[in-house]
Amino acid sequence: MAYSCYITFPTTFYAIRAESILKQESTAFKMVPVPRTISSSCGTALRCSCDEIGKIKYTLLQNELELEGFYRLKEEGLKTPTVEELDLNE
Amino acid sequence: MSDIIEPCKNELNLYFDNAATSWPKPETVYRAAEKQMRQVCGNPGRSGHTRTLEADRLIYRTREAVAKLFNVTDPARIIFALNATDALNIALKGFLKKGDHVLYTAMEHNSVLRPLGRLQREGLITATMIPCSIKGYPDLDFLEDAYHCETSLLVINHASNVTGSIAPLEEMLKSAKERNVSVLIDAAQTAGSQMINAAALEIDMIAFTGHKSLLGPTGTGGLYVRPGLELTPLREGGTGSQSEIDRHPESMPERLEAGTLNNSGLAGLLEGLKFIEETGIDKIRDHEQKIRAYLYEQLQEVPALKIYGPDSSEPASTVISFTINNVDSGEIGYILESSYGILCRTGLHCAPLAHKAINTFPEGTVRLSPGYFTTIADIDYLVDALKDITAHVAE
Ligand SMILES: Cc1ncc(COP(=O)(O)O)c(C=O)c1O
Repeated sequence: MAYSCYITFPTTFYAIRAESILKQESTAFKMVPVPRTISSSCGTALRCSCDEIGKIKYTLLQNELELEGFYRLKEEGLKTPTVEELDLNE
Repeated sequence: MSDIIEPCKNELNLYFDNAATSWPKPETVYRAAEKQMRQVCGNPGRSGHTRTLEADRLIYRTREAVAKLFNVTDPARIIFALNATDALNIALKGFLKKGDHVLYTAMEHNSVLRPLGRLQREGLITATMIPCSIKGYPDLDFLEDAYHCETSLLVINHASNVTGSIAPLEEMLKSAKERNVSVLIDAAQTAGSQMINAAALEIDMIAFTGHKSLLGPTGTGGLYVRPGLELTPLREGGTGSQSEIDRHPESMPERLEAGTLNNSGLAGLLEGLKFIEETGIDKIRDHEQKIRAYLYEQLQEVPALKIYGPDSSEPASTVISFTINNVDSGEIGYILESSYGILCRTGLHCAPLAHKAINTFPEGTVRLSPGYFTTIADIDYLVDALKDITAHVAE
């Protein structure tokens, strides 16, 4: 079973700003359309490995970005993925 | 190259109208605007596909480049608009509240005077004009005594499009800040050719246009709004985000932007900004200063020609206004173009109070505005033409 994690943004500006900031780091991530199972204000989300999401969130907040939500998706073939909203405040 | 994208290049045309809109643009500006339309084409923020993302990135990079130009760290504080006029309307109507008092200089363009005029006629605000000297510089003593308890905003024309005179920003900002009055700079004539350090000077708002010294296409421009200052939006609508709610996003830059932006124009503007960064704004300013000083010197040799505004030792953009005896300025402009292929602008230049300040109202002046690409040879040709014309006039 594959898991991937997502960060959503309040506006497009912050999605693109996130991309621009992370490009300067060595983190692997991709800007993707928001999966249908997640509800988001902005149509573009950031997909990354679930091992990295904490670090990415930290980097983005350090740069004063506005973020909306954090999710983990369990992808099982063509079935609708199961979504779990993450609480990253630990 | 097809006819359509060939610039309106006419060997005979010498362009002295950069204060209206700059020409030529760097080649990269034309190419980027066309490429955006042909190859990128996605609507920023609207769909998740890769072309949309590419369009989003172009706009983001343009925002970043403008932020850098004004020494601003957060690109979210730069919003795009149609031009400086649009940005000034967004600033004035989004900032001013009922009962406010506004100070503005006599050099202001109609893009400031007319919105202020309407707000006054509607009984919403009061306003006081800071008179300017015959050279086009604001009267700082008058300013010191002009503040009221209700004064909330000082509007400063950075450089006059009639005389070229550059307002003493530092002194005026200091004066306003001491009284907790916000400052809006109209940088239509200076963004791209004069350094404007928004962070160091603590400027509240800067309106800029893309098609003059920033060397971009028309239909581009915008506004810088300092962090912590939130304007009331003039318009609301589609932004591509938060589509399910009937409230426009409150966070910048979307807060002050609604509807599809001028994507190809902004792609061109980005190249204009890159050209300025690569060339260096100091180098551009120094070159333009040299060109103006030379033009000023040469014009003094033309008999019967009267120059208005700053001399070559006083702070100014490239603009120089003049008249010849009692000859109608429109007539001189017509002869310059029809007999010599020289393009300039004549009349009141949308700034009636500036002409009152320099005593050229209502006749107006002939305005010459060389640009970064103007050469000494261009000026020699122009000055010879003017000597010819004045010889005929004197006959
Ligand atoms: C001083 C000044 N302010 C505002 C404007 C308006 O610029 P735009 O026509 O790009 O809106 C201009 C130029 O026309 C100008 O010279």
